[in-house]
Amino acid sequence: MAEKPRLLLSSSPSIYSGMNVQRLMLYVIIALLPTSFYGVYLYGLPALTTLLVSVGSCVFFEVTFRKLTKAKQNYKDLSAIVTGILLALVLPPSTPWWMTVLGALAAIVVAKEFFGGLGYNPFNPALIGRAVLLMSFPAALTTWHKPFQAIADATTTATPLNILKLGGTLGDVAQSLGVSQPADVYLSLFLGNRAGCIGESSILLILLGGIFLLATGTIKILTPLSMILTAFIFSLILGMDPLFQILSGGLVFGAVFMATDYVSTPLTPKGKILFGVGAGIITMLIRKFGGFPEGTSYGILIMNAFTPYLNTLVTKKYGYISGRNNS
Amino acid sequence: MQVKTFKGGTHPPEKKELAKDVPIEYHLSPKQVVIHLNQHTGAPNQALVKVGDTVTRGQKIASSDGKLMIPHHASICGVVKKIEPRPQANLQDGVAIVIESDGRTEEAFLPPLDPFACTKAEAIERIKEAGIVGMGGAGFPTWMKLSPPPTKPIDVVIANGAECEPYLTIDYRTLKEQASVVVYGLGVCLQILGVKRGIIAIEDNKIDLLPTLEKAVVDFLKGPGSGKEFDIQVSVLKTKYPQGGEKMLITALTGREVPSGGLPMDVGTVVQNVGTLKAIAEAFLQGKPLIDRGFTATGSACKTPKNLVVPIGTVLSDLIPNVIQIEEDLRRVIFGGPMMGVSVPTLDTPIQKNTSGVVFMNSKEALVYEEGNCIRCGRCIQACSCRLSPALLNEAILANDWDLADKLGLLDCIECGTCSYVCPAHVYLVQRFRVGKLTLRAVKAAKTKKGGN
Repeated sequence: MAEKPRLLLSSSPSIYSGMNVQRLMLYVIIALLPTSFYGVYLYGLPALTTLLVSVGSCVFFEVTFRKLTKAKQNYKDLSAIVTGILLALVLPPSTPWWMTVLGALAAIVVAKEFFGGLGYNPFNPALIGRAVLLMSFPAALTTWHKPFQAIADATTTATPLNILKLGGTLGDVAQSLGVSQPADVYLSLFLGNRAGCIGESSILLILLGGIFLLATGTIKILTPLSMILTAFIFSLILGMDPLFQILSGGLVFGAVFMATDYVSTPLTPKGKILFGVGAGIITMLIRKFGGFPEGTSYGILIMNAFTPYLNTLVTKKYGYISGRNNS
Repeated sequence: MQVKTFKGGTHPPEKKELAKDVPIEYHLSPKQVVIHLNQHTGAPNQALVKVGDTVTRGQKIASSDGKLMIPHHASICGVVKKIEPRPQANLQDGVAIVIESDGRTEEAFLPPLDPFACTKAEAIERIKEAGIVGMGGAGFPTWMKLSPPPTKPIDVVIANGAECEPYLTIDYRTLKEQASVVVYGLGVCLQILGVKRGIIAIEDNKIDLLPTLEKAVVDFLKGPGSGKEFDIQVSVLKTKYPQGGEKMLITALTGREVPSGGLPMDVGTVVQNVGTLKAIAEAFLQGKPLIDRGFTATGSACKTPKNLVVPIGTVLSDLIPNVIQIEEDLRRVIFGGPMMGVSVPTLDTPIQKNTSGVVFMNSKEALVYEEGNCIRCGRCIQACSCRLSPALLNEAILANDWDLADKLGLLDCIECGTCSYVCPAHVYLVQRFRVGKLTLRAVKAAKTKKGGN
């Protein structure tokens, strides 16, 4: 038979959903665009530079590392671009470009490629990048600028969380945000006109990205929801203003974009919920008692370490309903 | 109406529109048939004929005396030309009896038997003698399913018309064209098991069958099934793969879960495929053994998608091009559906008792992917029809951690293919589980042996 050698022989199934890693990463990139553009709109050229340098160095480091170690090139899966954008968005706009490069090095080479690349990294690469920079250059990484002012000559300011950490009141925050009523603080925070990291400020645009990810089935709502709810309840318990705690800092950004990272967070529904709960609690503990005003990134990184354990909390399997079925 | 379903699963493109509206064609006189001795789950068969023998359609030509005995019958009249290994849809190329047609049209069927008047033992013997096996795919002997031990009381028999595999439409056509025969077959099962309740289950993409089926049920209850107090209902299920899986079907309809390692009879249910029920009915009404079967020939490389009934053993290449026309650009041939079917290397493969369809794919549709790294997105966990964690199972198998794989339920996997279908990284999940199950069974057997010494 002429067609004999031409027939494909592979295991079932013979059809596929058409979903692939590249498309999932593309969805994440699209979801990050609104808040990225807003960051550039708030801080201008320095924010844009940080974004471009971060993405460029992430891709560069991945390609170079894989070339040096003679590993297969994976840049087409777009994951290095996602890491680059995420890293830039959790840095202050005034971060010097060379620090961004170092952060990308830590994120891609140390946190990801050393462990075997995409799929094997235990910790969120972008957050490792940020954590390394925050430890190495604490001053630069906690220098904040007011939106819409040239960063080169503008005076620095404090983030809303900073103000509270240093004993300020909601009134002080209102003053810093330039709104008259303390009540307007919440709206201002929700819309994002405040000092902070490039991508973390506008809750509205972050949620917009989150809704896109949910609608495309890219992420599940379990982790973000449990993390934000836990933070809300826990801040109440600790006697903090829950709404203010949620709307300020990087909590929502972290919950939507970092706690939903596939590789470093649990696979199972139960694990996802507990991951969010843990990250929410740790974030609030750091904010209340820690040395830093913000704790989202450490909250998520610490929970990353619990992921292998949380993955053992699997759903009840089919056919094991009653005790007699246990084998 | 309430539309029932199970947890998990996925929605592959149905592609049923290709052959859905093509009435079943009968092509019962092939020039030869290739009947494999083993096309069922159970004891291996011996040939009862030798080369040169003349056989008649319906004559028993292979059998065994094993516990799971299932005989096979000549599906055409002719002369035994060869008994030798031939390509088979399970890729094992077992020994087959090759019969060349001599043009006679005689039939050596059993005498008709009234299932509602004969004894239970007679009825079961008839189904056994007719060589009937599950025609949905697994090929499990039907008489075994109808002989549960007294410790496993049955209270419902399900006629499986879900046909959840994409492309396949033969069950739909059978129900549309021969609903009364299928309902009769269901009635026979109820009678044998002494059960009152029967359910005919279809997915809601076949909801147009509802009036036909309901009428067939009423006619049956008034006719051959009268006075038996049968309660037969038609139930509509959500269209979702693998809704037609025995376990998923039972859970969707009754809320019961087949225990791990158990059978449907453990939860008081018996499930029979539509084609099997038709074969059961014919074994009584006409005394006809399972010698013909319906299947769907379809796919992107099939120019003539249609539903066919052919004698079992009809070689696919003998149907081409007179009955089935295929495109030049043929890249994959699947026996069964695209989710669970087996890709075969040659068109010389015969249709056997469990072949529900043949899907021809062109090079655009027949894709293979390089395996990527698991990115731990969890799509497989969400889609698994058995609520397992394929991503974690995959890790355990790659790490050779068989205890963990066992704990994660590797042996509960039904190989439905949903996880591989949804995986964005194209990890070879089902393939690894299929091999892994064999290894795990071997590991367990070795352990038991050690423990025994």
